[in-house]
Amino acid sequence: MKTVIKTTELTKRFGTKTAVDHLNLEIFEGEIFGLLGVNGAGKTTTIRMLTGLSAVTEGDAVVMGHSIKTDYQAVKTITNISPQETAVAGQLTVKENLAFIAKIYGLSKEQTDKNIESVFRTLGLGEVQNQKAKTLSGGWQRRLSIAMALITDPKIIFLDEPTLGLDVLSRRELWKIITALKGKITIILTTHYLDEVEALCDRIAVMANGQLKALGTAAALKEQTGKDKLEDAFVAIVGGDGV
Amino acid sequence: MRAITFAGRNIKELLRDPLSYLFCLGFPLLMLIIMTIVNGSIPETTIPAGAAIPEGTPMAPTVFQIHKLTPAITVFGFSFLSLFCCMRVSSDRSGAFLMRLYASPMKGIDYILGYLLPFSVIALAQMILTYAAGDIIAVATGKEAFNVLYMLLSLVLFIPSLLLFIGVGILIGVLFNDKAAPGVCSALITAAALLGGIWMDVDRMGGVWLAICDKLPFYHSVKAARLALSGDFAEMWLPLLICAAYAVVIFCLSVLAFIKKMQSDKK
Repeated sequence: MKTVIKTTELTKRFGTKTAVDHLNLEIFEGEIFGLLGVNGAGKTTTIRMLTGLSAVTEGDAVVMGHSIKTDYQAVKTITNISPQETAVAGQLTVKENLAFIAKIYGLSKEQTDKNIESVFRTLGLGEVQNQKAKTLSGGWQRRLSIAMALITDPKIIFLDEPTLGLDVLSRRELWKIITALKGKITIILTTHYLDEVEALCDRIAVMANGQLKALGTAAALKEQTGKDKLEDAFVAIVGGDGV
Repeated sequence: MRAITFAGRNIKELLRDPLSYLFCLGFPLLMLIIMTIVNGSIPETTIPAGAAIPEGTPMAPTVFQIHKLTPAITVFGFSFLSLFCCMRVSSDRSGAFLMRLYASPMKGIDYILGYLLPFSVIALAQMILTYAAGDIIAVATGKEAFNVLYMLLSLVLFIPSLLLFIGVGILIGVLFNDKAAPGVCSALITAAALLGGIWMDVDRMGGVWLAICDKLPFYHSVKAARLALSGDFAEMWLPLLICAAYAVVIFCLSVLAFIKKMQSDKK
């Protein structure tokens, strides 16, 4: 398996607080990789560093051969992110939002049209293509947000809490979409929903207090902790009580 | 190219918001009409500035005369551009939209130009509309029509004021969140009107008020605009230069603040 991301002692400190603490992990091409942890575990900070949104305090990460410390502009052209909050231009239509991001990343008109058609098919956005983003429901806005990350043909996509705040049906719809992308693109998603990582992710990195506590498939984590449920395994790994 | 794309997004957001038409285009025109009616209702006086005014003499404020009112209201209209600019920047910042763009290959200059260009286009439309309306009102009320050359020249000479007000908008949008920024900018609109001599003849008032106005850019911005339309270019350069100096400082500050904010967001 080809490694697309390799972090080496990746560390982020905010003053005296260490948000990410000497993180070492490898992510392989085409997998859906889950960063699992409670709030404040360091998941979003890790993603922010890997996308060039946040400066690295110590260590480094290599994304498809490019260091995030010295070559982050190259990293930006091969990755994209769907942030935790829905990040769409409200007064623009769905299609205009997609075309806008494609242009920002320098895609040609032909490539933009082709990619828009492709994401319409994958995410089912065709029916709302001329609707202003601000008029869409939360689930559709999140879908558009993911589409805006996919429109640039990234090799790696980061989904930060993609289903946070969505109702059950919208979550399941998004799961289907993310599952459909498996193998075509490397996906790194952060979540604190255990059912989400179990349903979607090939491998899971459990983080707590900025540190990597465990790494493996859901089955491997359960086996490692001797638990039947991922939830129990997670609690055992992060050191919670009541197990 | 990325700056143009970003500017395109910003202008669409602006043009699709009905409030921007109301405030940026409609409100200056409305004020122009209202103040012309107010001016027409007050008898004129021939007492020159500085001369003693007999008690009880009715005064028609010269600032409401169409040749003085039109350039002043154009500057007043720019303060609404500041408001919409600060709202755009602060709302982009407080949502995750700018975070998405920070992760893209866009650079600092793309953001600044992307905010500056659309508001400059709106300002141009605002200037043309206000001057055209002012000219029509002048002719309709039996006053002398505006000099076309001076009018065209005024559009160019407004550039420092334009940069000043857009710079202020970006600066407030960077320094304050989307809840506080509009309030702060509304205070600026009031200050610009009061300290710019838009609604009152600051020169005639003199004293401490004139001294305060003289230290701030709004008065010079309005004065330069009025002198440009009257073709008094010899007198115009000093206020224009003062306004330009403020514009350069404020705009540079806004660029620095934006870039610093970008970098601090990345820490």
